[in-house]
Amino acid sequence: MAGGARSANAKGVFKHESLTVNGIKTALLTAGQGEPLVFFHGGGVFHGFDFALPWTERFKVYIPFHPGFGDSGDDPEIVDMHDYVLHYLELFDLLKLERGLRLVGFSIGGWMAAEFAMEHRRRLHKLVLVAPAGLRVKEHPGTDLFRIPPEQVPAYLVHDLKVIERHLPKEPDADFLAARYREMTTIARIAWERPYSHRLARWLHRINVPTLLVWGEQDRMLPYQQAASWAKLIPAATVQTFRNAGHLVLDEKPEAVKAVGEFLA
Amino acid sequence: MSVLEDLKFYFFHFMPYVYLPPDYEDHEKYPSMWVDFSNRFYDPRKGNELYRRYIGEMVMAEKLGYDGVVVNEHHNTPYSMMASCTLVAAAIVPQTERVKICAWGVPINLEFPNRLAEEYAILDVMSGGRLEVAVPLGTGMEYWANPVNPVTARERMREAIEVMIQAWTADGPTTYTGKYFNYRYLNPWPRPLQKPHPKVYMVGVGSPETIDMAAEMGFGYSIVFIPVKAQLQVFAEFREKAAKHGHHLTSDDTPIGVFAYVAESDEQAEREYKEHIAFFFDHLIRTTPRFLAPPGYISTEQFKLRAASGHDKLHGHFDWDESVKQMRIVAGTPERVANQIGHWAEEAQASKIICHLHMGNMPRWKTVKNLTLFAEEVIPRLRRTRPALAERMAVAANGQALQAGVK
Repeated sequence: MAGGARSANAKGVFKHESLTVNGIKTALLTAGQGEPLVFFHGGGVFHGFDFALPWTERFKVYIPFHPGFGDSGDDPEIVDMHDYVLHYLELFDLLKLERGLRLVGFSIGGWMAAEFAMEHRRRLHKLVLVAPAGLRVKEHPGTDLFRIPPEQVPAYLVHDLKVIERHLPKEPDADFLAARYREMTTIARIAWERPYSHRLARWLHRINVPTLLVWGEQDRMLPYQQAASWAKLIPAATVQTFRNAGHLVLDEKPEAVKAVGEFLA
Repeated sequence: MSVLEDLKFYFFHFMPYVYLPPDYEDHEKYPSMWVDFSNRFYDPRKGNELYRRYIGEMVMAEKLGYDGVVVNEHHNTPYSMMASCTLVAAAIVPQTERVKICAWGVPINLEFPNRLAEEYAILDVMSGGRLEVAVPLGTGMEYWANPVNPVTARERMREAIEVMIQAWTADGPTTYTGKYFNYRYLNPWPRPLQKPHPKVYMVGVGSPETIDMAAEMGFGYSIVFIPVKAQLQVFAEFREKAAKHGHHLTSDDTPIGVFAYVAESDEQAEREYKEHIAFFFDHLIRTTPRFLAPPGYISTEQFKLRAASGHDKLHGHFDWDESVKQMRIVAGTPERVANQIGHWAEEAQASKIICHLHMGNMPRWKTVKNLTLFAEEVIPRLRRTRPALAERMAVAANGQALQAGVK
């Protein structure tokens, strides 16, 4: 195991479950009581989900691993983001999460959450997009994930490297590298040709639930100035940015986690 | 029949661009000579000079008696000036009359398969049926340079090959319905001259997926850039798999590549040769693990094996003593080179010898010397010693050590 579930459960709070969704093993972390909060993770799960613990005091938190990440199985038939939307429709049916969802998506998971919300807004109570990927903003282009050499990735993810240091191997580690390669393969299935979708600009206006955009002001992957473009396209959107925070703003800033919790209450 | 009774010698030219910046040896500054090595270092005037020289060397190979010439294709790199190997092949066709022209080849995923079927058919018809092709998946580096998804590359290649073979063999118009290609009117003009179609090989580095595909489709298979011992295992596996699919392989179906340099003495050969083969392995082929394996190009399991074993070491770290032990590299007198190649051919049961006789930044005089000495002194020796070697083969078949008499 290279990151993900192990680090997520450092404090033993999350319960591990495994479901089968359309033939694909889907690993799921759950914790807490209350209204359902679903978190769609980003393109790497090595840094775990400790940041989400405060939410479990107020909500029932669901963190599913997307196919091709962590303990979930691979699904080579996924060809675009819409396949993930359908995957999650099936998972939510299994979990009987019909209405009142608080959906939080980060990075690639933010793109996923936005596409889900465009198509299935009636299932949602509120939406939070944390440094979401997927929108092409010509004036403030994002960094193409595939252009970053692996050894440089950590510096692209956080403002303060100390935040994720404990999740990184000290020596070259074949298991760790292979886990990242698998994640990159999974992302390449849907984003190699272009790591964005023209669908977002065309359909984001359909999201009619209150939406919060959260961004770290030192985000080197996706510049926080992109938040304005999202907010212009989503009618009921507000933006909160955080200083001295990079792409992993939730890991770096407890106040960002708190702001999400308060918004969703 | 011994493989040595039917040896064929093909001259393979990489056609490198050799005028690198003065600090090209700086591995930290230029960790890769592929993908992102800036093309501002390319001087088209020098490119012109090199094309004229290299193509001249290919044409010379016919006059010297080689059986074939081989071109191949790579992108975003000084390693090869053949970003379109069909173009280079087309330049060689009208300047030759007899040699096989081997396009080894266009990574099929980088073109529409019907168009590649057409281009190859044009070459086959223009050359009077002298074309042979290989279908590479393409190195990982090609997928950073071209807008094709590496994750689906193998699946897509399989369909593309089906389309190409169908385009060549079935009277059109036909249809093809696949996951990646849908053809309503597959009906390319022209069709190849050779029937049912030009000889097809797959080339690779021994990935199980590629071996399976070649075995199933009845193609030849050639392996590049892995140690000889591993190559022999792959050939054994390939022959077994092909037999299961009902394909009877000949010694022509498993070509081997040799890096050879011939001179008046062994010492002189090594002295004249080493710096150029080192230039090739240290510099022209230098790249990073990331470029070698774009996401999904290999399975996660394969990636883990490579990461754990340092499989990518070859790409930028050349050691002569180590390499001559592991690869088919020989420099020496005609006698020595001929013996060594005879041994390799027998050992691999391969009759098609792909000869890398120009290496790296070799000056023209050395290429011409090598090409000439190899043709006039090595090839006749291998042909002359045929009966003796064949006899030793028979002994080996009876359980004696194969290498005993060849040393």
